[in-house]
Amino acid sequence: MGDLPAMSDGSSRTGSPGVEVARCPHCGTAVEGSSDTFCCAGCEMASAIIRGAGLEDYYQDRESTAPRPEPLSGGWDQLPVDEGPDGLCTIRLAVDGLRCASCVWVTENLLQRTAGVEGATISYATGRATLKWDPGKVGLPELAGRIAALGYRPRLLGEESAPDRELLLRLGVATFAAANVMLFSAALYAGWTGSMEERFAALFRWASLVLSTPVALWSASPFFAGAVAGLRARVLHMDVPIALAVAVLYAQGVAGTLLGFDTYLDSLTMLVALLLAGRVLEARGRRRAAEAAVTLAATVPTTARRISGDRVDTVRSDSLAAGDRVAVGAGEELPADGVVTEGRATLRVALLTGESEPQTVAPGERVWAGTVVVDGSFTLEVTEAAEETVVHRMAEELRIAADRGSRPSSTDRIAPWFTAATLVVAAATFTGWWIAAGASAAMSTAIAVLVVACPCALALSRPLAAAAGLGAAARRGLLFRSADALLDLTRVDTIALDKTGTVTEGAMDVLSAGDADLRVAAGLERFSRHPVALAIVREAVARGIPLPAASEVDEEAGVGISGVVDGRVWRIRSGGSGVVVLEDGGGHKGIIRLGDAIRGDSREAVARLAALGTRVVLLTGDHEEVAQRIAGKAGVARVQARMSPGEKAAWIERSRESGACVLFAGDGLNDGPALSRSDVGVAMGSGAASSVMAADGILASGSLLPLSAGILAARACHRAIRGNQIRSVAYNVGAVSAAAAGLVNPLVAAVLMPLSSAMVIWGASRVEGAVCRLERELALRMEN
Amino acid sequence: MNAVVFLVPVAVGLAAVFVILFLKAVKDGQFDDLDDPPRRILKD
Repeated sequence: MGDLPAMSDGSSRTGSPGVEVARCPHCGTAVEGSSDTFCCAGCEMASAIIRGAGLEDYYQDRESTAPRPEPLSGGWDQLPVDEGPDGLCTIRLAVDGLRCASCVWVTENLLQRTAGVEGATISYATGRATLKWDPGKVGLPELAGRIAALGYRPRLLGEESAPDRELLLRLGVATFAAANVMLFSAALYAGWTGSMEERFAALFRWASLVLSTPVALWSASPFFAGAVAGLRARVLHMDVPIALAVAVLYAQGVAGTLLGFDTYLDSLTMLVALLLAGRVLEARGRRRAAEAAVTLAATVPTTARRISGDRVDTVRSDSLAAGDRVAVGAGEELPADGVVTEGRATLRVALLTGESEPQTVAPGERVWAGTVVVDGSFTLEVTEAAEETVVHRMAEELRIAADRGSRPSSTDRIAPWFTAATLVVAAATFTGWWIAAGASAAMSTAIAVLVVACPCALALSRPLAAAAGLGAAARRGLLFRSADALLDLTRVDTIALDKTGTVTEGAMDVLSAGDADLRVAAGLERFSRHPVALAIVREAVARGIPLPAASEVDEEAGVGISGVVDGRVWRIRSGGSGVVVLEDGGGHKGIIRLGDAIRGDSREAVARLAALGTRVVLLTGDHEEVAQRIAGKAGVARVQARMSPGEKAAWIERSRESGACVLFAGDGLNDGPALSRSDVGVAMGSGAASSVMAADGILASGSLLPLSAGILAARACHRAIRGNQIRSVAYNVGAVSAAAAGLVNPLVAAVLMPLSSAMVIWGASRVEGAVCRLERELALRMEN
Repeated sequence: MNAVVFLVPVAVGLAAVFVILFLKAVKDGQFDDLDDPPRRILKD
């Protein structure tokens, strides 16, 4: 919640008359006071640290204000960090809140100037920090604390795969060879008419063969491996005709060099280079989506306050064991499953059940890890901890369920026909020419057929257009892990939306409050970490209300907060479910209503999805009444209320059986079964880490708007792939006919093959433009 | 034209040198992150 929006203008609708309104120099929140008044102690501290390190240039250079600093959550000191052979520790962290290059610069420099830090680099593009430090001089908690003190939030990254450099190496070798072979071939073609001495021609052929050998034997090996794996599994996929063509080209090249006739080695190297370029692009898109998922799923180490005798120790949650007693207070997340032994509290259980209404628990009742204490405090006796908790088991099941195998693509479906047709035509050509013109002519024509039949353009048609489509969707806020899932979007006709956290914000929010009451309440709650307090301050900042100064603030957990604002004593107390009452001594009574508010753009998003011709349904575990209220606000006509996670999944299953193609968007762990049963599962980037890891797609920005943009990107991508396939099949039919007629020699092949690939690249390059056009059309249609 | 007999192996050798340099650059990780370095120079 440190991510308060910076305000763009100086509007202040409320504020005591005669009081100067200024902006906090660090985070830009409006405050009452002079120009150097900080909004909170955290900002004052952050500013002091930055100036103390001589980095005050940051304030001039930055393009956006910093988030308000929040205290670092505990647990960093409990993390095991591996020490390298040089005695230094290294760790990669995700850092939230970096909004501009200056934010990165100031954080990096501050870390580098910390004693004991050997290296600190932060990537703006991915929001990752790589830290290297001497554990004898400084520890991870201090480093994480320095990042947090500036207002940025460090989180722990899960496992990541190392970048695949091998594909790039193969591409590099193939490209170098292709460029050089082309030079020799150009010389050979120039000497076509026989003006070149035979010894020079032989020299050029030998040079071409030397350069092509690593390409055919090493660069092209992924295609051979793919073909062999495919044949073993008894499938003819795209790699089979490619491997066949490369093998034929190379064999013909070796024979031609030894016996002295024209070779196709330039076509061979060019083809391998182009195909590898397609693979590199595809891998890069996939990697970007995977990295984004890892970043979104990064976690903060969670700690628990364990009670042993009359001492309270802070320990890592996963080190708890059954029988331990743990103290839990307002705003904290339960570290383990267990039973309440003393105390009383209200819990937010949305993560587990999806219900937004908080539940009250009393001694003897069971509570679950991952739920959040809204109000009150209690002691918990642990029954299951770490891997045994319900939340962890759900996450694990979700991960397994979502591990779907990749589906055969449309290109793979064409491939067997393609290969069979090529072989039949080559055999027919060979027989025909043998009868008509003898063995030697038959051989060279049949080889020409096999050469031009190489499905280079066809094999490139999908990865290039898919990379363009994935990129177009990602730029609009919808990240997809694979082209398969993106293309499935084109078939989607039913969109099932989870309520809590998807259509709604999923967190406590102010539903109604007067500006004056809100101003006083925000002043009092300015320093509190209670969810209600955070919601009130956030709303005040969003409305542009300057935060007033408060004194003698006294917060009594579970009861309320009191303090002096504008010289009067105010008290805030709970007024029942979802209501907070603000009172002064003189009988003034202000009411602030809180609840789960709908996302600001959900209505617009639903309208766009409907305009695209999809059926939108709201699925929720909540009561009919709440569900209808939210559905009415979001403009969703169909509602299924009181559904357990299992019922949601069953509903999706039934819809699919009746012929619908279902997209499900949800955010919580409880959405796991539904996410994995749907045709396309989309998780909110702000949701539970495991749902992010398991979904096909991720909405990066906490808004449903990118869904419609994603569908448009999928349509444009689908159309581009179709167009590319038609063009490349047409090319192949034409070229193979020409080759069978004996019209193709190495020079013709050298011109035709890159041309066909360029045609496919052109088709893919138009995807972004097509998405923009579709978006404009949709906007026009919605206006009318 | 006899120079060609000498120059062709030289050209192939040169190409090999560049390929080796490229391999080294990739192994050093120069191509791992293509997004940040262009931004970084704006601030230093």
